[in-house]
Amino acid sequence: MSHDRVVITGMGIVSAIGHDARSNLRALLEERSGIAPITRLSTRFRGEIPAGEVQLTDDALGALAAPSSMRGWTRTALLGLAAIKEAIQQSGIEHRSPRVGLISATTAGGIDKSEPIYTRFFEEDPPDEVRQYIGTHDPGEHAERIARELGMSGMVTTISTACSSSANAMILGTRLIRAGLLDAAIVGGADALCRFTVNGFNSLMILDREPCRPFDRRRAGLNLGEAGAYLVIEREDLARARAARSLAVVSGFANTNEAFHATASSPDGEGALLAMTRAIQKAGLTAQDIDHVNVHGTGTLNNDSSEGKALMRLFSDAVPPFTSTKSFTGHTLGAAGAVEAIYSALALMEGAHFATLRFAEPLDEAPLTPVLRSSTGHRIRHVLSNSFGFGGNNTALVLSAP
Amino acid sequence: MKSPVYITGASMIGPQPGFDRDGLERVVRYDAHPLKSIEPDLKRYIDPMRGRRMAKVARIGIGCGLNALERAGVQVPEAIIVGTGLGCMESTERFFGSMIQQDEMLPNPTAFIQSTHNNVAGQLALAVKCTGANFTYLHRGLSFTSALLDGLVQVGLEGARHVLVGGAEVITEDYFITQRHSGIWKQGSVTNLEVLNSADRGALCGEGAAFFVLDAQPRGERPVRLADADIAYRGGAEAMAARIEEFLQRNGLQSADIDLLMVGRGGDAELDQAYGPVEALFPDATVAAFKHLCGEFYVANAFGTWLTWSALATGALPAEAVLRGVPDRPFRTALLCDHFQLKDHSLVLLRS
Repeated sequence: MSHDRVVITGMGIVSAIGHDARSNLRALLEERSGIAPITRLSTRFRGEIPAGEVQLTDDALGALAAPSSMRGWTRTALLGLAAIKEAIQQSGIEHRSPRVGLISATTAGGIDKSEPIYTRFFEEDPPDEVRQYIGTHDPGEHAERIARELGMSGMVTTISTACSSSANAMILGTRLIRAGLLDAAIVGGADALCRFTVNGFNSLMILDREPCRPFDRRRAGLNLGEAGAYLVIEREDLARARAARSLAVVSGFANTNEAFHATASSPDGEGALLAMTRAIQKAGLTAQDIDHVNVHGTGTLNNDSSEGKALMRLFSDAVPPFTSTKSFTGHTLGAAGAVEAIYSALALMEGAHFATLRFAEPLDEAPLTPVLRSSTGHRIRHVLSNSFGFGGNNTALVLSAP
Repeated sequence: MKSPVYITGASMIGPQPGFDRDGLERVVRYDAHPLKSIEPDLKRYIDPMRGRRMAKVARIGIGCGLNALERAGVQVPEAIIVGTGLGCMESTERFFGSMIQQDEMLPNPTAFIQSTHNNVAGQLALAVKCTGANFTYLHRGLSFTSALLDGLVQVGLEGARHVLVGGAEVITEDYFITQRHSGIWKQGSVTNLEVLNSADRGALCGEGAAFFVLDAQPRGERPVRLADADIAYRGGAEAMAARIEEFLQRNGLQSADIDLLMVGRGGDAELDQAYGPVEALFPDATVAAFKHLCGEFYVANAFGTWLTWSALATGALPAEAVLRGVPDRPFRTALLCDHFQLKDHSLVLLRS
């Protein structure tokens, strides 16, 4: 036990497969996918493109998150608030202490509320139904709003590094605790499904018209999802002193840049390999110690091929059981790193390998078969979780049993 | 800190001319706002054809970052950290606009790719082949100082060498218009050199970029040390003075040790009042300001940090920046105190 050990003491999540951690776990074990044709978001692609929507209207989500007033709350901010409240409750942390930080992540911020009424922002004197969302557009807004709502008084900041954003929030929180600047941090991310990202990924032609098939030879792209996912992390000695249960240890982490291309991964998986290697090193482990990998596994041609090759280069012919839980939730962008950190912690706690849904046939260039059926009772000590983003941003986390 | 953290190279692109220099060339007077960046010739960093297709925030961010590396004599930094309140809002709005106009019929993918907020940090990594950590902070008035604090921890506590840290921001026309009810910016115009005497609300709108290379080893004849940085959310005017005293204490300083106080006064008669008690803490210090020179924007404190660095590195500060107490000896210890809308509070301590 040292000041360097940072442990997870609380987790909260709202995703397409459940509105708290327990129901997410149940869906993973029962192999229930949350991916379906879009029904909630107002878009021309409704019914056509599948996605992992949280099955709650904004009002129902508001009732779950229960802010003191609904004025100005975007769906992104509500997803965040609901998940954070669950994480705080489980952890029992005094989150209002100035030694507790909030490090949040998002890619689209509050765009979900501004996109349907954007042209009205320019009106001479917009009514309050419009005006309340004018200042909710930028990524930092949701974090400030949540910190204010919860009466937090410590450091608050927002990270936006595309699809690795909330994995990077985990890294920053862990580093600041290790450096002695914070005792604890609430780290994670929130991103609501919005037309902006649906159209963006559609314009890149990487959205599968069917539920996604990560690591499968016939995969045809990713499905988007939405989620809020946060973890309470804190110094192990302080967690122990207040008798908080340690769920997992944040033992290794690395953020690297591939410096290869603005959006694509290098074909040989160089960037993914570097991030995984450094994270395992940082944990003081070797590749043989990893018992389970939660891969980035988006289902795009480029990612899975590149990540698969990186797995083979790192683990040679002993690739541990690996899974892409994006086959359940879709790609939740800024929230994905935290969603999958939570699933990785659940895998440790439950001794569970979670299935990768809809896999049929392996890739030629990386003939790997992911976990096909969910099961429990395995001895899992160390889990690796990958999150890769545009701009060559690659992050790997290692979580270990406490 | 386990090891000292030095600023070994710095660069600024903003509404005042000072690119590739240690200080401002002169002070430009503006009679209207938004204040726009004076874009230097960047062709030794960015292919002009490519530059024209880039969003302005990317152009000035990348140009400024590469210039800071060059001035520090560093080819490949170990990490790149960028702060920007709005990220690539210009590209976001471009994609947004065409999506709405064309009713979601395949808008241009290039604008979407460029709208990814970590575009500047990612492009910088690509330009210098930096495979180290690559972070981007988008948190309003704390965007740059979050990045600076991250860099300080990396070099001072985690043993990193040559970390590139910067802020870049362009306020788009749409954003300026839609924010007119927020009160951040003045609706009328006033000369920037007189804005700090305003009796009304709001500041001048500005933009710009400033980048720094941090390292554990000093460089040059007058090395400047980044001694500490602090960020906080809320707290109001009363908490500011208390926070400063705590900050000085943890750095083993007394208020008399500060000979330059750089404040974030921007010309908003109400918000600027918060600086009164802060200035009173330092009766013997020279007090200077920067937001009348660069305007108010989410990472204006990156420009403020650059101007403070410049004062320590050169011993000089333009007369237009000084509010009180003309300096009679070179500055040794400078404190930057900034708040954005009295919500986002930043402190930066530089020492020569």
